[in-house]
Amino acid sequence: MKNPLHPLTWALWLLADLVILSMTRNPIYLGLTLCWIAVISVAIHWAGIAVNPQRLLAPFHFGLVVVPLAALINALNVHIGVTVLFVLPRALPLIGGPITLEALVYGLLNGLILTCIYTAFALVNQVLSVRAMVGLIPRAYYPLAIVVTIALTFAPLTLRQLQAIREAQAIRGHRMQGIRDWLPLFLPLLLSGLERSLQLAEAMTARGFASTQAQSQHRVARLGLVLGLASIVAGLWLHLVGPSASAGSLLTFSGIASVVGGLWWIGRGQARTVYRPTPFQRQDWLVATAALCPVLLFLLPLFDRTSLFYYPYPTLSLPEFNLIYGMATWGLLGPAFLPLRRSIA
Amino acid sequence: MGIKEVGLIERALSLLIYGLTSLIGVVAFLYPFWLPSLPAAMLIDRAHANDATLLLTVLVFLCFAVLLLEVQSQAINTKTVALLGVLVAINATLRYIDNVLPIPGGFSPIFMLIVLTGYVYGGRFGFLVGALTLLVSALITGGVGSWLPYQMFTAGWVGMTAPLCRWLVSGHGPIVSRREVIVLASFAGGWGLLYGAIMNLWFWPFATGDLTQYWQPGTTPLDTLHRYALFYLATSLAWDAICMLGNILLILTLGAPILRGLRRFHTRFEFQYQPLSAEQVAGQQATP
Repeated sequence: MKNPLHPLTWALWLLADLVILSMTRNPIYLGLTLCWIAVISVAIHWAGIAVNPQRLLAPFHFGLVVVPLAALINALNVHIGVTVLFVLPRALPLIGGPITLEALVYGLLNGLILTCIYTAFALVNQVLSVRAMVGLIPRAYYPLAIVVTIALTFAPLTLRQLQAIREAQAIRGHRMQGIRDWLPLFLPLLLSGLERSLQLAEAMTARGFASTQAQSQHRVARLGLVLGLASIVAGLWLHLVGPSASAGSLLTFSGIASVVGGLWWIGRGQARTVYRPTPFQRQDWLVATAALCPVLLFLLPLFDRTSLFYYPYPTLSLPEFNLIYGMATWGLLGPAFLPLRRSIA
Repeated sequence: MGIKEVGLIERALSLLIYGLTSLIGVVAFLYPFWLPSLPAAMLIDRAHANDATLLLTVLVFLCFAVLLLEVQSQAINTKTVALLGVLVAINATLRYIDNVLPIPGGFSPIFMLIVLTGYVYGGRFGFLVGALTLLVSALITGGVGSWLPYQMFTAGWVGMTAPLCRWLVSGHGPIVSRREVIVLASFAGGWGLLYGAIMNLWFWPFATGDLTQYWQPGTTPLDTLHRYALFYLATSLAWDAICMLGNILLILTLGAPILRGLRRFHTRFEFQYQPLSAEQVAGQQATP
């Protein structure tokens, strides 16, 4: 089945996941988020959308390693908390001191966040083709998108050429025994690649490809970028060490807005034609809007946010649960309903 | 406005963008060191600790985006676009092979080409080779993740700082000197360790948790640095040491012939397409 969602929708869904995972350390919300991502993973595999179905369990394996490891590292590093499990000799640098249950739980939560991030990215890697990902490169980076496209086209060719050079050298009696033996393989690969790039440049020029748009045309936008960056620096200074935190925040966010605006303005001037455009359809709007709802709820102080900031120190306690935030995470479930479209069809 | 004045404005804008993005990038990258030492970080409620981390992550992304935009002005002609594309393809293939083969530790062959191209073709070109190598290899291997912008940023810095080696090599010409290769090998070796240390900064707060855990009255950035040094020694030094040794060995053994090849093509790429003047066009049309 073809991926029915626009690549931008997947990018927005991923961004929503990352914002939520950055905003909370409550194990209930983290567990719910992980659960929804897992449900979507199973759904897309069931629908046959996944690019590489063999990697369905990769995040599970990742979690099995990372969660205990993060718990162990944190427990050995941090010696605060009242529930002491055992004490390591204080003479040991860094790890010496009491090993506490609270530090262990905190580490588990760190591992859980990492697993959630990895799972979300693994899912997006499964549903988006390389072409779709390249298409997500903003228009302001048009020359770089061209470079990436050339590199992606040449990479399989380079691999085949390396194989051909290896076979040719093997016939001449070349054997890989040490690092010096890489030279007869790598140098022909590099030089032939450089030669090919020269031919490619000539072919591109002959076909009229030349970005003649001078950078000076974007001078006003670049000035906006500079002012935005300066505003961020001033805002950070005011916020962190200066007299007014609120003025600092205002300056920082106006700087961020100025930089984003400048990037958008520069991209606006780049015309892009698409041979076979992917339309942004109704289901895209639905999934994107559903994902945006929990982001707004988690970011804005509309409700009591206490439950978001679970902290096991100094005494381990059960995490609070706010039904509103719990239900808000359901907004991430949108892509799980994609297979239903196939059933209805 | 004269051409000279326009050039000055362009240069000033470029310098300001490089300076400001580097400043914000370094401050945001190093937040694990200074954030716990701020008294305000503990006086305000813990809710804002998450906000600050999110904000600094956004700032790293923004700085990288602006820096990339500024640097890409290098890639405005077909020769650079084609050269970059092919070099990135070769380097990404090397990384793919490195992922497939059971090579020990943090050994990665990609740094050799990033350092050498940055050294020969300039810092901006090196930045693009570094950043795009990581992007393309991530796309090929399905390794796109939240770590990718940090990897791209840091690998870009490797290439961007490579021309600094020219200061230590007097009169680098077509002939590759032994001193040149040793300087470049040492530089790449140093970055082998530094790349791991910088990339760990992304992972460290996840591995060791919220940094306010360690806060005590009088905590200074030096205390945090000491803690990080111990963490680095315990978890990463052996891994990164293999990367460092690999970089040194690769450049010592393969550096000189590759440098010669890159320089030869640098000369070959140094030509400009000049549009014909109206008289020349008329002359050509008149010729049967």
